[in-house]
Amino acid sequence: MSTQFAIEEELKQSINNAFRSAKVTIKRQGRINVEFRSGILPAFVSYLKEYLDFKHLVMMSCVDWLEDNEFEIVYHLWSYDHKVHIMVKVRLDREKPVMQSISKLWDQAETYEREIHEMNGVEFEGHPGMRDFILEDWEDLPPMRRDFKTREFVDKTYEWRTGREDKQDVRETIAKQYDTEVPDFKNSK
Amino acid sequence: MMNIKGALVPFSALKFLGKKPHTVRYPLEKKDTAQRYRGFHFNDLEECIGCGTCSTICQNEAIDMIQLDGVEAAKGDSGLRPRVDNGRCCWCGLCVDMCPTGSLSLTDQYLHTSPDPDSYLLIPGKDNPEMKENISFVKSDSEPLLQFDRVPMRELDGAERVKSFAEVVLGYMQEEARAEATRCVDCGLCVTACPDHMHIPEYIGAIADADDETALKYIYDNNPLPEMCGKVCTRQCETVCAIGHLGEPIAIRWLKRFATEQFPDPAAILNPVIAESNGKKVGIIGGGPAGLSAGYYLALRGFDITIYEALPKMGGMTYAGIPKYRFPEDSLDKQIGYMEKVGVKMVNNTRVGKDISFDKIRKENDAVFVGIGFHIPYTLGLTGEDLENSIQAVDFLRDVNLGKSVDIGKKVVVIGGGNVAIDAARVSRRLGAEVTILYRRRVQDMPADWEEIEGAEDEGVHIVPQGIPLEVIGNNGKVKSIKYGMAEMVADDKGGRPRPVLIEGDEHILEVDTVIGAIGQEADYSFLPKEVMDELKIERGRMVVNELKQTSIPDIFAGGDSVNRTADAISAIADGVKAVEGITHYLLDE
Amino acid sequence: MSEIMQEKETTLYLGPQHPGITGNMMIELKVTGDTVQRGRTHVGYLHRGFEKLMEERLWMQCFPIVCRICVPEPDPNEENLARGIEEIEGREVPERAKYIRTMVLELSRMATYLLWMGGQSGSAGLYTMPQWTVGDRDYIIDLFEELTGGRVYHMYIWAGGVRRDLPDGFAGRVRKVLDYLEERLTDYDRLLFENAVFLKRAQGVGIIDKNKAEEWGVVGPPLRGCGIAHDVRKDEPYEVYDKLDWEVITHEGSDVYSRAMVRRKEFEQSISIVRQVLDKMPEGPVYNPGPNPLKWKVPAGDAYVRTESARGEFGYYVVSDGSLKPRRVHVRGPAYVHGVSLLEKMLKGMNIADVSFIMNSLGTCPPEIER
Repeated sequence: MSTQFAIEEELKQSINNAFRSAKVTIKRQGRINVEFRSGILPAFVSYLKEYLDFKHLVMMSCVDWLEDNEFEIVYHLWSYDHKVHIMVKVRLDREKPVMQSISKLWDQAETYEREIHEMNGVEFEGHPGMRDFILEDWEDLPPMRRDFKTREFVDKTYEWRTGREDKQDVRETIAKQYDTEVPDFKNSK
Repeated sequence: MMNIKGALVPFSALKFLGKKPHTVRYPLEKKDTAQRYRGFHFNDLEECIGCGTCSTICQNEAIDMIQLDGVEAAKGDSGLRPRVDNGRCCWCGLCVDMCPTGSLSLTDQYLHTSPDPDSYLLIPGKDNPEMKENISFVKSDSEPLLQFDRVPMRELDGAERVKSFAEVVLGYMQEEARAEATRCVDCGLCVTACPDHMHIPEYIGAIADADDETALKYIYDNNPLPEMCGKVCTRQCETVCAIGHLGEPIAIRWLKRFATEQFPDPAAILNPVIAESNGKKVGIIGGGPAGLSAGYYLALRGFDITIYEALPKMGGMTYAGIPKYRFPEDSLDKQIGYMEKVGVKMVNNTRVGKDISFDKIRKENDAVFVGIGFHIPYTLGLTGEDLENSIQAVDFLRDVNLGKSVDIGKKVVVIGGGNVAIDAARVSRRLGAEVTILYRRRVQDMPADWEEIEGAEDEGVHIVPQGIPLEVIGNNGKVKSIKYGMAEMVADDKGGRPRPVLIEGDEHILEVDTVIGAIGQEADYSFLPKEVMDELKIERGRMVVNELKQTSIPDIFAGGDSVNRTADAISAIADGVKAVEGITHYLLDE
Repeated sequence: MSEIMQEKETTLYLGPQHPGITGNMMIELKVTGDTVQRGRTHVGYLHRGFEKLMEERLWMQCFPIVCRICVPEPDPNEENLARGIEEIEGREVPERAKYIRTMVLELSRMATYLLWMGGQSGSAGLYTMPQWTVGDRDYIIDLFEELTGGRVYHMYIWAGGVRRDLPDGFAGRVRKVLDYLEERLTDYDRLLFENAVFLKRAQGVGIIDKNKAEEWGVVGPPLRGCGIAHDVRKDEPYEVYDKLDWEVITHEGSDVYSRAMVRRKEFEQSISIVRQVLDKMPEGPVYNPGPNPLKWKVPAGDAYVRTESARGEFGYYVVSDGSLKPRRVHVRGPAYVHGVSLLEKMLKGMNIADVSFIMNSLGTCPPEIER
């Protein structure tokens, strides 16, 4: 066991003893990443909270890995005693993203889950009152999904100001000046 | 219980009577803004090159590039200038930090209010010339956002080089090429200076993205000899590079070389689509860059192409003139091999006018492309020039390149300051001679590439600037020494470049075994029959052609050194590419 | 009359234009008489979608965006994003730049506390304080203007260091402002911190359950106001905080007053920290250049970085997929918890008049809740 990451190594041991399927990586001093399967996540974070002193739920993030057709929910937990930040990452099927709520463990998780529900379209089972958070009467695609295109949304929702239509693309202008055309090999692959 | 303190505390407020308030005072005192204040934009319209980097970096899309009256497009200037929508601008100043020329700055002026949205559109420098006095936020030299230093190119050491004809420039490694390509801001100004208008930002972008295959496709789109250009191009693109204004230009030439060197067989990547035969035949005289380029693209379009070359191999000057340490033969073979693959027929060792007549070629083909180059050297016009061992650089270089043995002795003088002179000098060094270059003007006036001049100096070539040869002195019919006089530079009254004028009595004699003349060449039209010569319009030794490289005779097209004034490989390629349009138009009426 | 009021529950909408806080946010209150029975936070008036915008911008273009996440205190945002990217990239930051960043962060803390003093006393009905503190804050803003070129949004800290070195004689002018503010503290004490009206309003009001504070996600001055000594600057030191001499400040009481005292002492402490920074600041470069911003790819990876902002732990979760643009930048502002779940808990049983007063003491900042 390296002495440099003594606490981190110890935590890794404890986690692996209790949850063999958790893939634990020590990123650096004070940073541990855990990849976990979604099924028993509440039990896992509850273990971290009650037994390993990860009392502080820093936040919950959702990353859209559109190419993998997966959402990644990241639970950020901090232990004031160990001075260690743990990121528990759970991958969800993007087609049917369902997760269990952890709002029974941390009250503030309720807000985070509401936001992720609204922004990414992830369902949280056992959430006490799923309702709008920031958006109101939103009917479009959840906006933090990667396939929600802001530019398209803006184009159909707002009007562009006039008076700037004379703008030119430098590269195109130059190509035109010399009577050439720039082919597109980049996207034709 | 009376609180004494509480009763007294209010009186302490009296101290404020004597204090200066820090709220607004009357009469109004205008507060000076700080030195770095980020207010409205100002643009030095003369300095600005219209590269549009400001517009690209603006995360608010507040900057448009627009045409302005009085600003003309030119080499290295798109002719566009930025206009800022102050309704969108957030005054982050990234545009200033990203400006490659430093023409854009922010001023200490910040007040504007109006119900008219159009009044928020500001063309910096044009709408607010008076703000030149108010410039406050300017580019920082010590915290640059752009990378101004080029990734250095690895080269053989000067002492090592002269031992052989091994290639001097070693080429970029993967990492180096990616890093160098990353410096590019994609403006495309380089395209304005490239005679062939290659798709430079596109292929550099692809190299930066580690997508060399795409880079190769962009490169071959209008240049079939890119590996050659990647090694020996005169790279006018780099002279106008936006980054070159405050730093070292992107190494466009080396990057092109890198991309082409990644693939031993371009055909495997390009999968060229060859159009079905259209039944038209084109004969090409001269297998130099112009002829090869025309031949390649015509072949792709379904023409039947035959190239006639006097020398044993295609390539023209790039084969016979450019020394192997700059352009190795296997690199040339690779490119010729690829052209053969697309169906270009090549006839070597066939001098038109001697081995085959011009009329025959003209009769057998529907059109003829003439790309004969400049192969006849100018003579020096000195006494003793016809002595044995007084030779011409083009002949010398050709003999060396074709593998003939050339005896130049121990001491050589090269006369001239162009690339051919430098080539001759550096080749002579490799043959073991001590070399002196005599040049009429100053070193900075030399038309040769500065990298070539530096390379020559590194290899121990001695340059005598402002030295004018006066006489070649012989002994037993052989060169013994050369007499030259020193010149001073006299400003030209008519505003031209300064002229060298001999200093009376300042004459020197240099013992030499060989004198190599390299003061220029001209075309050899002796292969053309008289009736063609009569009809063909030639001015100052160059054939006159139209936009599409058609000569005064409709079925004869021409390109390369014998047509254009820049007389370099890339211009020849550009001519060839243009002639493809001309010939297609002429033969297929498209 | 009073009988009816006590029986009948009325709905009261506080906000979105609001006396208690900077930015817009609405509290829906169910009240009987003067007492709040329960309340609910409604946000959505300030959603600018910054996180989404950043996913469609080059890494460098994100810097002018993040500073806008919190109006009164933009610098922790810039510093967090910069440090997050640096951690993924492994880019070194010159020592001098670290000192400058620390100075900027502390000056920004002081400016924020001055604004808070104004808001806190304003919501208690003491209207001289806001005039004074907002005026004094301007001296710090002037320093920012001189250093960065911008008064409110600085766009000064970026990946690899800071944007410009200190102007000539800047340190001296900082010291002058520090001396002035130190002297001013006695005036503030008289006007606010020792003011009987304030004491009456603040002591014993807005109590946070000390035993639950950590679990509830309370951070910053509200947590330290419960006597719990947690401060990111000590827990996970960043920039040069571990090279400076200072202690975490706590205050027992868990109420509005103890939170105010924590801030007041930290304000004084910041003066000392900035002085130390100026004393110890080494010479040298302030920026370690990265690639051309137009082709800048941050290697794939993620990082969570945090700073102790004036309102508590401010964190950035930065994810890169190795491309020109961020995969995800998730911002954790302290108000996200303070202003929603914690506030909703505390509202119960509160006087209506205390709502904005308490919101202020929690450092509620809607722009960072919504981003």
